[in-house]
Amino acid sequence: MPFFGELFVSEILKKPVLDPKGEELGRVKDLIVVKGEPFPMVSALIIDKKKKGFHLPWRDLNIFNKRIISSNIYGQDLLAYEFSEEDLLIARDIFDKQIVDANGAKVVRVNDVKLEGFESEAILVAIDVGMRGIMRRLGVERGGEDFMRIFRRDIPFNLISWNYLQPLGPKLSTISLTVPRQMVSELHPADIADIISQVSRREGVTFVKGLDVETAADALSELETDVQAAIITRMSAEKAADILEEMPPDEAADVLSDLPAEKAKEILENIEKDEAEDIQELLSHEEDTAGGLMTNVYIAYPPDTTVRRAIDLFKKDAEDVDTVYYIYIVDEKEKLVGVVSLRELLLASLDTKLSDIMHSKLKTVTPDVDEGEVSAIISKYNLVALPVIDHEGFMLGIVAVDDIVDRILPPAAKRKRRTV
Amino acid sequence: MNLWRKIVLFVSVMGPGIITANIDNDASGITTYSVAGARFGYALLWTLIPTTIALVVIQEMVARMGTVTGKGLSDLIRENYGVKSTFYMMTVLFIANFGTTVANFAGWAASMEILGLSKYLMVPLGALVIWILVIKGSYRAVERILLFACLLYFGYVFSGFMSKPEWKEVFHRTFIPEMHLNSEFIMLSIAIVGTTITPWMQFYLQSSIAEKGIKKDQYKASRLDVLIGCSITDIVSFFIIVTCATTLFPFGIRIHEASEAALALKPLAGEYAFLIFAVSLANAALLGAIIVPLATSYYICEAMGWERGVNKTFREAPQFMWIYTVMIVFAALVILIPKAPLIFLMVLSSVLNGMLLPFVLIYALSLVNNKKIMGEYVNPRMHNIISWGTVGVLTVLTLFFIISFLIPAGGFYG
Repeated sequence: MPFFGELFVSEILKKPVLDPKGEELGRVKDLIVVKGEPFPMVSALIIDKKKKGFHLPWRDLNIFNKRIISSNIYGQDLLAYEFSEEDLLIARDIFDKQIVDANGAKVVRVNDVKLEGFESEAILVAIDVGMRGIMRRLGVERGGEDFMRIFRRDIPFNLISWNYLQPLGPKLSTISLTVPRQMVSELHPADIADIISQVSRREGVTFVKGLDVETAADALSELETDVQAAIITRMSAEKAADILEEMPPDEAADVLSDLPAEKAKEILENIEKDEAEDIQELLSHEEDTAGGLMTNVYIAYPPDTTVRRAIDLFKKDAEDVDTVYYIYIVDEKEKLVGVVSLRELLLASLDTKLSDIMHSKLKTVTPDVDEGEVSAIISKYNLVALPVIDHEGFMLGIVAVDDIVDRILPPAAKRKRRTV
Repeated sequence: MNLWRKIVLFVSVMGPGIITANIDNDASGITTYSVAGARFGYALLWTLIPTTIALVVIQEMVARMGTVTGKGLSDLIRENYGVKSTFYMMTVLFIANFGTTVANFAGWAASMEILGLSKYLMVPLGALVIWILVIKGSYRAVERILLFACLLYFGYVFSGFMSKPEWKEVFHRTFIPEMHLNSEFIMLSIAIVGTTITPWMQFYLQSSIAEKGIKKDQYKASRLDVLIGCSITDIVSFFIIVTCATTLFPFGIRIHEASEAALALKPLAGEYAFLIFAVSLANAALLGAIIVPLATSYYICEAMGWERGVNKTFREAPQFMWIYTVMIVFAALVILIPKAPLIFLMVLSSVLNGMLLPFVLIYALSLVNNKKIMGEYVNPRMHNIISWGTVGVLTVLTLFFIISFLIPAGGFYG
């Protein structure tokens, strides 16, 4: 079993492999990788002789470095190798593919793979994503160094450690580590959305499926609706339902409204009943009206609640609510009668009732009001949220300022795949 | 599916094919068609039919790849053919597209000159505006305006009608091929093919389709989009040739540039035809000057795995920004150098584009026939025969094209 320091895979491709007598067995064609602890490792070399592939197990190698590769066995003992889609090959399946660098939060392309000796195994420690990797593959790394020396510059190494990599294809996922997945979950959802928007939809789906539902929901919220729809339609209804349940109902409704009717129905059937009802209610409104923009998750208490009680309730309820700056006051018939701001609530003496401190003249809209008018009202009265009521005064939901901002400003903050 | 749903589906998918086709009629395209019409009258009209067929065959394939894989062409080439092929292809693509950018800036300069504006003012201004548009990431809106302005191209259709051609003769010569053993004639017919089917367009179309996220089951609608786009391109080409052939050819007016066509049309076809030609040329040139450098930077960075995107800074995406900047700045500079070898540069660009095309097509064809990538969407047998035939003919033609450039005119065919 060979011991070696480190090398790049492109340095040994097409290199001759010798038998114990120094005769050439063939040339290195590819390397088979299997899952290892902690890193994936090389299980065998595929060598190529007269256009035929042979399988040379790692344990049969004697010397393995970039100058010489030799084995313990002779040509007649080699097993023929049939290229199979089951195996994971470095040159075929890892080289030139895109992969996610969870540390730098970006999509990179594999130019080369670095191997290192570790307890007599060859493990995959890093990928090369830099100019050096490209030059090495082109066979001009030395020339490039000499050239840059003229300008007294070095070509930097640009390696990304394997434990930061999150694969995009199902195949590479079989040897991925768990570390990058955690790192991806810790990224800002906008960064994850950026990654999704840079890869093909199919890869995007694989990537999203690999995230935990909460992260997936956050990241999806950052994407353009057509990208959201493209990703969701390519998932199973159950998985899609899990993710949508994590989103605020208004955003889930937005996503669903962009899907084909059958798919949307199928997903809705998989969503928890309460949540599904909320979403369905929102779905019945036109997209560019107050009804389409509103969310039905808000804080509302009866008028005779004391401030003390309201603060206690608030501490519990606010966790699942996005817009918490207004406490709406609704009577026993769910009619909206007033509003108290969070500041007013906190400053009021604990034993007063909400009905004593509430403002009863408040701005409202009906669900069919156009988004332009909604934004005009929000802007004119400097509101954080605007309640939506039906014609009889029953509270239906609220339009939050952040929902309307996305509609009236160019969607610079949303990620969409942009190639050209 | 009822008709109404079919229409709705088509509208949601349409775009990439039609847009690509419009960009295809860039400054060099308009030039070639005008020159062809003025020099040989209706004699070259028939070449548009085989050209359209070839264009449809190729773009359909590319569109199918974009739909099935959701990836760009440079992406697929890199993933399946490795660094070496990709690197050389991207290098040639860069040089060829630089030439195309120069050609578009030249078109911009010429159209400004005939509209009475100095190129020494308008070229730097144009370059600066284009550069800022992308740096600020607001080029999308402008692109839409320019694409909308492509409706101007229908002006060519009007000017074609207004020139009152002999329709009987026009159709006769459109459908019955004729050959003249004349080096200029052969050169121009090849140039028509070459300017209509370009390498970078294939990259552009596939990326736009992938970007739009068109799904496999919408593919039929997407094919219609491509078909309509290709037809529009060549209908516009047809009318440019007809206009110049009817007005300029009988008077023996020889032109070398589209702007000359505009000027020559002024006394013969009136102010209106002049304006159509001048403004359309300016529009096409500007659109080309925005899209070609931008698309080139995208494909190169995509293939090499560099950070890319118009919303990135120079520090985040240095290669992307520099490729784009260098192309625009140098293309503009070349135009401003007095006595710059413009013709030589454009010829060089056409030769490189010509050399690149067979490779791009061969890669595209082998990718589209790869079951691992395309699954059940590989080329059917009949389609393959047509495609390989098209690629074969195009390869032979481009070989002629290159040889005829390398051997001085007249020396080859006598």
